[in-house]
Amino acid sequence: MATKPTFRQEISNLLYASHGDPFSNCIQCGTCSGTCPVAEFMDEPPRRLIGMINANMKEEVLDCNTYWFCASCYHCTVRCPSNIDIASVMYAVKRYSIWHKTYSDELVGPVFSETFMKTVAHNGKSYEPILATTYLFGFGAKEFFQEVQGATRMMLKGRIPVLPSKIKHLKNFQKMIKRIVPIGEET
Amino acid sequence: MANTKLLIIDDDPDYVDGIKSILEKAKYQVDAAYNPKDGIEALKSGNYDLLLLDIMMGRGAEGVMVARKINKDPKLREMPVLIITGIREQMAFLFPGQPAHPRLLPTDELLEKPVDPDLLLEKVDSLLKEAAGKKEEGA
Ligand code: SF4
Ligand code: SF4
Repeated sequence: MATKPTFRQEISNLLYASHGDPFSNCIQCGTCSGTCPVAEFMDEPPRRLIGMINANMKEEVLDCNTYWFCASCYHCTVRCPSNIDIASVMYAVKRYSIWHKTYSDELVGPVFSETFMKTVAHNGKSYEPILATTYLFGFGAKEFFQEVQGATRMMLKGRIPVLPSKIKHLKNFQKMIKRIVPIGEET
Repeated sequence: MANTKLLIIDDDPDYVDGIKSILEKAKYQVDAAYNPKDGIEALKSGNYDLLLLDIMMGRGAEGVMVARKINKDPKLREMPVLIITGIREQMAFLFPGQPAHPRLLPTDELLEKPVDPDLLLEKVDSLLKEAAGKKEEGA
């Protein structure tokens, strides 16, 4: 029977729907790192992260900020000569971190994505004022008030809606989500 | 019970080790598959008496895809399935005020992660007995 998967295989399993991802074919050319707009803020640039996953360096991969900083711009994916979907690998490591709860409590990313999904499930689209609060409290007092002031001005000018709006045919949209994700019957 | 064959489809190897050892101590024969594709292949080639299925795998709820495939197969859908699900899948998608216990298959039963060993064995035992009872009825 199947042998216990390595970390590299676990990440590959998280990409199963795309029939795995050929990230083991990485030739370490560095095109991804060179093209990545966020690389300078990352603990490890994308090239190194792919190399570390292939080397089964589980703790080091999970500990670095690289996959949380990835902005999903897909530049790396488009340019990789080995056809590796690096952006999807970043998502796979995010899933790993969330599902195994390896991230630290202060980290904004997981709460942000949860809030995002809930808002979308609820309204059919996102609503920035709710999303913003997930990271607002991470700021210092001064930045906090600057952000709030800015947001208030934008609301007064009608650039941000005061109340979340809902899409048309929201029930149908929610039915569609329920087909995809297992959630309970309506009570 | 030594001849009772169980299959686990779950992408978390440490978790699989855990429930596998509980079940093996109870003298079940246990195989594991770590992704939906290997899982479906194992189901088709092996003759399993019961399946333990994880929901959150791959890009999301791929366990649901496995359940749907099983449901379409007239032979496989007779097999009892114990869906083992963690609170992690309820995190992002749950509509507030609604239960998170979907029924995916005619035969399924649901258990929350982390699993209590006694409860696991109890559920496995009762599902197997129920399936055996149905077989006799049909015979
Ligand atoms: S661009 Fe592709 S092949 Fe080159 S280092 Fe990045 S992942 Fe590896
Ligand atoms: S998808 Fe992520 S890793 Fe790739 S270039 Fe964009 S920010 Fe960098």
